[in-house]
Amino acid sequence: MSGETGARVEVKSVSKIFRRSRQLTQALASVDLCVEPGEFICLLGPSGCGKSTLLHIVAGFIVPDDGEVRVDGVARTGPGADRCMLFQSPTLFPWLTTADNVLFGLRARGVVTSESRRRVDELLELVGLGSFGDHYPHQLSGGMRHRASLARALINRPRVLLMDEPFAALDAITREAMQNFLLELWERERTTIIFVTHDVEEAALLSDRVCVMSGRPGRIVATEEITLGRPRDEVLRDTAEFVALRRKLRERLADA
Amino acid sequence: MSSIPSSRRSGPSGVSSVWRDGLSVSARHWLISVASVGLGIVVWHLAAAVLVRDPVLLPGPLTTIEVLIRYLKTPYPADGETLIGHALVSMARVLVGFVFGSLIGIAVGALMAGIRGFRAMVDPFIEITRPLPPLAFVPVLIVWFGIGEAPKIILIAAGIVPVMAISTAAGLDGVPKDMLNCARCLGASEWYTMLHVRIRAAMPQIITGMRLSVGLSWTSIVAVEMIAATSGLGFVILQAGQFLNTSLIFSGILIIAVLGLTIDAALRRLQWHLDPSMRP
Repeated sequence: MSGETGARVEVKSVSKIFRRSRQLTQALASVDLCVEPGEFICLLGPSGCGKSTLLHIVAGFIVPDDGEVRVDGVARTGPGADRCMLFQSPTLFPWLTTADNVLFGLRARGVVTSESRRRVDELLELVGLGSFGDHYPHQLSGGMRHRASLARALINRPRVLLMDEPFAALDAITREAMQNFLLELWERERTTIIFVTHDVEEAALLSDRVCVMSGRPGRIVATEEITLGRPRDEVLRDTAEFVALRRKLRERLADA
Repeated sequence: MSSIPSSRRSGPSGVSSVWRDGLSVSARHWLISVASVGLGIVVWHLAAAVLVRDPVLLPGPLTTIEVLIRYLKTPYPADGETLIGHALVSMARVLVGFVFGSLIGIAVGALMAGIRGFRAMVDPFIEITRPLPPLAFVPVLIVWFGIGEAPKIILIAAGIVPVMAISTAAGLDGVPKDMLNCARCLGASEWYTMLHVRIRAAMPQIITGMRLSVGLSWTSIVAVEMIAATSGLGFVILQAGQFLNTSLIFSGILIIAVLGLTIDAALRRLQWHLDPSMRP
């Protein structure tokens, strides 16, 4: 769909301390991370290890106390349409139809053209919601809402997708379908993806590389290349290779 | 039910409960409501015609309607307005006070949600004034502003400012942070996000505050019209009471009820328009 591929994301010695009622919490301590263009990486760690904070810093929602984020070599300090975030809840705008939700990015940037409607239809078709454009979010099921928010994120052709446990609240069947759908999409578009999860299997299944994080202060303590072939499908989940990998990641996580 | 997506995983039970015995839940609700109002009128009629049998103590629904229709055209008191005139006067006061009060309340609420220091400053005043009956301020408003239109409108406005401020602030506070962040990473500026996401998302709750405020406005206006006015529905009701014209009192109350319901229906319609999840 687009000639542009993903961007390189560099996180350079980023630190963040939260002050809450006179208590200091070191959320991140000098984190370094480099994500290659078009790479799919997972940040794996227990709850409260700062992985979500790191993602929010890359997105520009949180300003780090120290360090910087570079996208394709350019330092970024605020949120921008080049890095789009997907949240655990789909956060669709309930007063807009699915199609208008998808269109939001273009409208907010003031770049709606006569082409835009067609692009919206294309994206809805891509996520399998072709006939649901005039439905409101509350009329969609959980999985459909997630696909709609993915379509909304793609309208700006972001070069980096930041995903904050996007499928954690879904039931097992829907989650598996969304994971396969995301992989298909990524193999076609080659967007850079940083995916936060606490699910070992999800991390092993999706990514090229898993960065294991430890909590308080949050640091990346181990990095594991995932050498499983692609495309990855359901069959893979039951192979000995996958099971071994899963165990290894779990051990890394326990050591952290 | 074309709105329910066919691929939804929720089994057949979700749909079948909507239609049972050929009536939708909302139609059934509506029918029961209408029947209950009808029953109320019958009870009223029986109480007046069989139990009390004195139109001064309790006029029946027919007498009330008859009097209501008569005074729609006949001035009351003789040198005053017709019921329509009184109703228009009260309605105008309510609407002007309501619009002013809402605007001020929304502005205060928005500032409360946006500036923490401002909230700390305003909160005690709201907490102090909210439980006070607006009526307590009528004498002092008369001392300050005389008995013209100003004290009436100020009383209505002052009564609803705290309600509007609280519901606006709560509405703006309730917008999830993720939704605002989401707008930002879709390329929306801070200003665009404030206007098109945060305020827009809070609209249904702001209108809920307005619906509460309309009721309060009527309470204030009738009370102040009883104390310091020569026109308006409160004035008519008080006059009718002094001449033991009970059916005219009931007529006045009936008109207030109908006007209140009409404004509420309009606001509900607006809410329905702004909040798709209220629709099936």
